Amino acid sequence: MDKSSMAIENPASRRKWRRFKYPDSLYGYGAWLIAFTVIVFSIEYLNIPLDRLLGMLGRMGDILAARYYPPDIEYIMDQDYFGYVVETIQMAYLGALFGLLITIPVAWFASYNMTPSRLFVYPIARMFGMSCRAVHETIWAILFVSILGFGMLPGVLALTLFSTGFAAKLFAEEIESIDMGPVEAMRATGANLFQVMVFGVWPQVRVAFTGIAIYTWDVAFRAATVVGFFGAGGMGWYLKRNVLQIETERVAAIIISIIVLVIISEAISAWARQVVMKMK
Amino acid sequence: MKTETMTSGKESVGSTTAKLGGLADEIAVKRKRSRMMSGAFSIFLLALVLWSVDVTVIKDTDWERIGSLENVLEATNRFIGIDFELFSNLFVPALETLLIACLGTFFGLILCIPAAWFGAMNITPYKPVTYPLARLMMTLSRSIHEIVWALFFVAVVGLGAMAGVMAIAVRSVGFIAKMTAEAIEDIDYRPVEAIRAVGGSPFQVIYYAILPQVLPQIVSVVVFEWEINIRRSAILGLVGAGGLGLVFFRQMNTYNYHGVTTVILAILIIILLGEAVSYFVRRRLI
Repeated sequence: MDKSSMAIENPASRRKWRRFKYPDSLYGYGAWLIAFTVIVFSIEYLNIPLDRLLGMLGRMGDILAARYYPPDIEYIMDQDYFGYVVETIQMAYLGALFGLLITIPVAWFASYNMTPSRLFVYPIARMFGMSCRAVHETIWAILFVSILGFGMLPGVLALTLFSTGFAAKLFAEEIESIDMGPVEAMRATGANLFQVMVFGVWPQVRVAFTGIAIYTWDVAFRAATVVGFFGAGGMGWYLKRNVLQIETERVAAIIISIIVLVIISEAISAWARQVVMKMK
Repeated sequence: MKTETMTSGKESVGSTTAKLGGLADEIAVKRKRSRMMSGAFSIFLLALVLWSVDVTVIKDTDWERIGSLENVLEATNRFIGIDFELFSNLFVPALETLLIACLGTFFGLILCIPAAWFGAMNITPYKPVTYPLARLMMTLSRSIHEIVWALFFVAVVGLGAMAGVMAIAVRSVGFIAKMTAEAIEDIDYRPVEAIRAVGGSPFQVIYYAILPQVLPQIVSVVVFEWEINIRRSAILGLVGAGGLGLVFFRQMNTYNYHGVTTVILAILIIILLGEAVSYFVRRRLI
C-alpha cells in the first residue's frame, strides 16, 4: 500500500473512497438518525421494558409448556370441526371469487394507461381499491356482522372486499406494464374501449391474472381463518369460543390445525402458480 | 416442416404429407383433449361455486333477521356521520398505533436476521439443519394471523402495547426474512469470492460482500412491511393490545356508530400517511 502511494504522487488516491458523496451521504445519515429517534421515542412512549424482553422468552416457554401443551388433538378430530373447516374454505373461495370479479373493472379503471377517464374514473377507482385495502379484514367483518347479523354471508362479503383491495392493486400494476403496441393498433382501427380491453389488453395479462387469482385465494384463506373470530362463521368462531372459555389446550390444537391448513393451501397455490407459469 | 420436405426430396413428398397429416391429427386430438380438460375443470369449478353459494349464502344466512333491503339500508345508514367529540381522544391512540407499527417492524427486523441468514440457501451455515429451521420460522410467522399472535402475547405479557409490538414483530419476520433470503440467493457472487480470496472471515464476507448488495432491497421490503404493519396495529386493540383498535372496540360496544366511522376514518388517514412515506422512500431507493 505504502509503496504504491509513494510511487504515484496523487493526493486524490489517498482520499478515502466513499460510495456516497456529500449531499447524498447527508441524506443517508439523516434517514438513519430519524429512524433511530423514532425507535427510541417509541420505546420510551410505549414503556417497553427492554431489560425484561429477554426474560420474556423463558416465560413464554413456561406458559407454552404449562397451558398450551399438550394440544387437545382429539377435540379437533370430530365431525363438527371438519364442517367448520369446510365452511372456512368455502368462505375463502367465494370471497376470493367475488373479489376477483370486482377486481377486473376496478383494476381496469385504476390503471393509468387504460382508464376510460383519467380525471374522474381513475381517482375514484384508486380510492375504492385503496380503502378496501386500508381497512383491515377484521374491521370489514365486524361492520358486516353488525349490519347483517352472524353467519357466513358477512364473512364472504368481508373477504370479498379484502380480496378486491389485494388483487386490484397487483392487477392494475400488471395492466400498467403491458405493451401498448397492440392497444394502439386496435385504437387506430377504430375499436371501442371494450374491444381494446378484451382483444388488446386481456391476452397480455391473462397469465398474470391467473397467478394473482391463485395468490389471492391463498391470502383470502389465511384471512378467512380469523374473520369468524368476530362472528362471521368458520373456524374463527370455534377459536373465539375456546379462547373465551380459556380452553388453552384446545386453542393450541386449533392453531395447529390452522397452521397445517395454511401450509397445505400454500403448497397447492405454489404448485398451481408453477403450472400456470409453464403454460405461459 | 419446410426443411424436412426439402431434405427428403421429391420422391417422399407423399409420405411427408402423410406424416404432416398424422401430426395434424395428433395436434387436433391434443387440442380436443385439452379443451375437454379445461371444460371439465370449469364445470367442476362452477359446481363448486354453486354448492358453496348454496351452503354459505342461501342456507346459512338468517334472511329473516336481515329483513328487506330497507332494513339493511337503515342498518348501514346508522354508520353515516362523524362524531366530532371523539376527535380529541383519537390523537394519543393514533400515535400509539403508529409507534407500535414502527417498533414492531424494528423488532421484526432484528428477529429476521437469523431467519434470513439461515434461510438463504447459499450462505446458510449448515444446510440440513439450519435451512429447514429458518423455513419453519418463516412459515409459522406467516401462517398464523396477527389476531392469533396478539391473543397469545396478551396471554404472555398482559394487556397493553407490549403485546401488540411483539405480535407485529413476530408476524413481520416471515415476509421480511423470505424476501431478504431470496435477495441474498440472487446476489452477484464475484464480490463474495474476492473477499474470501483475500482471507475474509464469514462475518466480513456478509458485511462487505453481501450486505451492500441486498441493502436497498431490504430497506424497500422493510418500508413496505411497515406500511402493512400500520394496518395491522390498527386492529390489534380489538384483542387488547392498545392503539386505535381499542377505541374502535369501545365505540362498537357502546353502539356509537358515528364514532365507529370516525375511528375508521382516522385509521384511513394514518394509512394514507404511511403509504405516502413508503412511496417516496421506495421511489428514492429504486
